[in-house]
Amino acid sequence: MTVISAPVKNAQLTAIEESGWGGRFKLVQPHNAAFWVYVLGVGLGAIGLVKYFAPAFGAYRLAVTSGIIFFAIYLIPWLLFLRRQNRYTAQPAGLLATGFVWGAVAATFWIALPANTALLEIWTKLLGPTGANTWAAGLSAPIDEEWGKALGLILLIALAPRLVRSAYDGFIIGAFIGLGFQVSEDVLYAYNNATASFGVDQLESSLFILALRGFVGITSHALFSAVFCAGVMWILGRVPGERRVGLGIAACLAAMFLHFAWDDAGGLFGGVPFLTIFGPYLILMPLAIVVLLVVRRLASSKEREWMRELLGPEVQSGVIDPPLLDAVSGLYQDRRRFRKLVHSRRRARHLIESAHDLAQEIADAGGHDTPRVAHARAEVLRLRGADEPAPMHQLP
Amino acid sequence: MSTDVRGWVPVEHRWLGLDRRQLKPAIFVLVVALLLIYGWPALNAIIPWDNPIKAGDVLDLGDGATAVPPVGWQLEDGALVSDKAGVSATSDNVKLAMGGATIELTGAAFTGTAAQFLDQVILSEDPTANISASPGSFTTTSGLVGVVRSASGSAGDELLAAFKMSSADPAAAPALLVDVNTVPGEYPQYSGEIEAFLRSITAGANE
Repeated sequence: MTVISAPVKNAQLTAIEESGWGGRFKLVQPHNAAFWVYVLGVGLGAIGLVKYFAPAFGAYRLAVTSGIIFFAIYLIPWLLFLRRQNRYTAQPAGLLATGFVWGAVAATFWIALPANTALLEIWTKLLGPTGANTWAAGLSAPIDEEWGKALGLILLIALAPRLVRSAYDGFIIGAFIGLGFQVSEDVLYAYNNATASFGVDQLESSLFILALRGFVGITSHALFSAVFCAGVMWILGRVPGERRVGLGIAACLAAMFLHFAWDDAGGLFGGVPFLTIFGPYLILMPLAIVVLLVVRRLASSKEREWMRELLGPEVQSGVIDPPLLDAVSGLYQDRRRFRKLVHSRRRARHLIESAHDLAQEIADAGGHDTPRVAHARAEVLRLRGADEPAPMHQLP
Repeated sequence: MSTDVRGWVPVEHRWLGLDRRQLKPAIFVLVVALLLIYGWPALNAIIPWDNPIKAGDVLDLGDGATAVPPVGWQLEDGALVSDKAGVSATSDNVKLAMGGATIELTGAAFTGTAAQFLDQVILSEDPTANISASPGSFTTTSGLVGVVRSASGSAGDELLAAFKMSSADPAAAPALLVDVNTVPGEYPQYSGEIEAFLRSITAGANE
């Protein structure tokens, strides 16, 4: 019989409680004011969206339709990529979809569109048309858009207080809100670009926007919001030991600065033609990716700790060995080390996924042994090629 | 007895059927959103335009093309030659405003004649618009020939003028649309300035 020590089991239960992993997400909560604000925002955003695009379905039908189709296809690799990032104590799909819709509809058409229109005109009055042409976008969008998107995270915290706990939760939810905003804005740009040429060559116009926005989208709203929302979670500090106000403010400011620099690259690199053209790609893109990787690493530390504690009893009982624990709770280099150790990328992936399944089942079961937990455990052992461990017993 | 049932709000936390514990974040989101949506427009409304055209100012329409704007009108969008802003002739936007009148200029890439460009504009913007007057020719002082159409309605008067910014090779040259709008009854008041403005348009380097 395998004996599980009480501190290890208690740490597991604490990790489940703190992370909220295994909880269900339900959007429709009539008793929750956040639900009604969400409905209001998305509802008015949808009206704004229809008003904006209604004229387009006359002369600009081809531009808008092709824009929607192109960017819907463009969305697929993004969703696959973000699904892979949704690791550790993964967020439910429904919650992420709720965030995506906020970004695509409410943050864009309810908040950013009217707010940006007014703020751009304010800057034009203050700086003059030429100054505004250089600086107004970067002095408007980081305020209206980053805040507009982050409001979706605040609503999700109120709608799912148990689920949205760590900085990494903010990072992932922010990425999905930002992705919704980005795709919505891309379709809007496809339409606007067609209007700028009065409807001539609409398909070519949409393809041009797909190529341009698709490429720069790598370091656009999904990235800005992931960084900004991780910062919001650090400021709020929703789990013990994760309140880091200074770091949170720095992350929010970093996201806003990256957004500003991207929008006002012409002004920032003004006077140097080479930098004006290539600076955004040679300087700003790498900088944005470095910021993203640093924030992701820092934000994931609590989640990795939870994952280790959650699987602690399984390590003690021998179901999961330390290298596999390092891989499932670790960073990219830990997973790469594990791949080298088992000499097979495919086998390593299967083992890590099965260990994650086991952690998920344990969290869903609240730390109890259920048939599903037992099955997940057996799957890990089958893939490891190990014998069934002895039944677990917890020390009093 | 536990009240920890999904969706169940303990009576001491209820307010008008809502869970008081979730009111703060909802109110925070609503207030910030409303500030962004209505706060900026309110601030914008109290800041006046203060960028009047002065005597001697010349608009930069890109590729050396220029126009002389009417003195005293507010330049709300666009660049002057003196700004050295590097305007693109195919994506240029200019907006001038005075009282109930606006003059908007839009540069675009278009292959074809000025008349074809104006037809494309009308088709794309509002095919059902009440543009009753037949197209007329308009020649600027520099010899650039454009096409002009006008419209009148309850919303006011509109004049559309289209140019290809080259007399030598108009088909391949950038196109320029001038869209003049005035509130009802004000067009005659500004017609002299508008005509002088249209006549001042030059093709610049495209010649």
